[in-house]
Amino acid sequence: MHELSLIESMLSIIREEREKHGMKRIIKVRVVNGALSGAVSDALSFGWECLTQEGDLQGVILDIVDAPLKVVCGACGKPFVPEDAHYMPCPACGEILGHEIESGKELYIDEIEADIDDDPADADAPHTGD
Amino acid sequence: MGKTVTIVRNVMEANERRAAKLKEYFDKERILCLNLMSSPGAGKTSLLERTLADLAGEFKMAVIEGDLQTDNDARRVAATGAQAVQVNTEGGCHLDGSMIEDAVAELDMAGLDILFIENVGNLVCPAEFNLGEDHKVSILSVTEGDDKPEKYPLMFHLSSVMLLNKTDLLPYVDFNLETASAHAKKLNKDIEIFPVAARKGDGLDAWYGWLRKARAAKR
Repeated sequence: MHELSLIESMLSIIREEREKHGMKRIIKVRVVNGALSGAVSDALSFGWECLTQEGDLQGVILDIVDAPLKVVCGACGKPFVPEDAHYMPCPACGEILGHEIESGKELYIDEIEADIDDDPADADAPHTGD
Repeated sequence: MGKTVTIVRNVMEANERRAAKLKEYFDKERILCLNLMSSPGAGKTSLLERTLADLAGEFKMAVIEGDLQTDNDARRVAATGAQAVQVNTEGGCHLDGSMIEDAVAELDMAGLDILFIENVGNLVCPAEFNLGEDHKVSILSVTEGDDKPEKYPLMFHLSSVMLLNKTDLLPYVDFNLETASAHAKKLNKDIEIFPVAARKGDGLDAWYGWLRKARAAKR
């Protein structure tokens, strides 16, 4: 429901990272969206399209990787991937209550693909003088 | 050919940072902060009016009221004598950390025991934004249907308390307290559930008991 404001947060993180790493042109941004993050991937794509139609990040590709829900059984401790986020019987002991969510709530920028001016990793390397 | 740079930064990090700062402040000042969430019309404001009036002699309390428009709720709450500040989100579907920072700056926080944040009426988005609160409290009224915890899991998953409000209307609606409770427990085995009728005052002692316990834990 608030995916547009999430995209705005993403854009400001991307601009910070562009500055930090001396990125000349950003090609692609990969975002990991967990099944329980509350953000809908389709709505994120649409929000991205709206907010990158023009301006400094025009044409940058958004690659959304959907991350599955993983839980650890609250009774026997077995980790498993539930088929349904609302009814999660443990495949080992059948317990449906009190599972710990291990992953699936995350929404983060994983990596950015870009043309980079000066690679900071190379900054310490001997200068070739060109 | 571009180069790939690993970033790994949480999209919500700006809000999480603000929430952590607020939490630190509330802890230092020993203020119990509660984030009240529900659908529009579930009875958050009525519950607050009653709670503020009944516990006025016991605690110093203040309220941050979140709504899209109007200051109706802040006026209702202020009529009980408690401090209230209205935040209008102008269309925004939830309160976030920066709005709470601004509201806290407007309140007289000295000697405060409990700060209630009445979030925007919405069962979805408010649950995603931490506000530095000690506990999330969800309110579900019996006119909404007992399958709501199942349909809107995150809010109930994260709440310490679920109040089932308007129990005086149970004879007129198809709502099963056990079904709603079972759905909520499935998401969150530790959730405490209190059936209440805020306007009539029914069942409020259990809620007040929980408030006293939570307040004592902050001292």
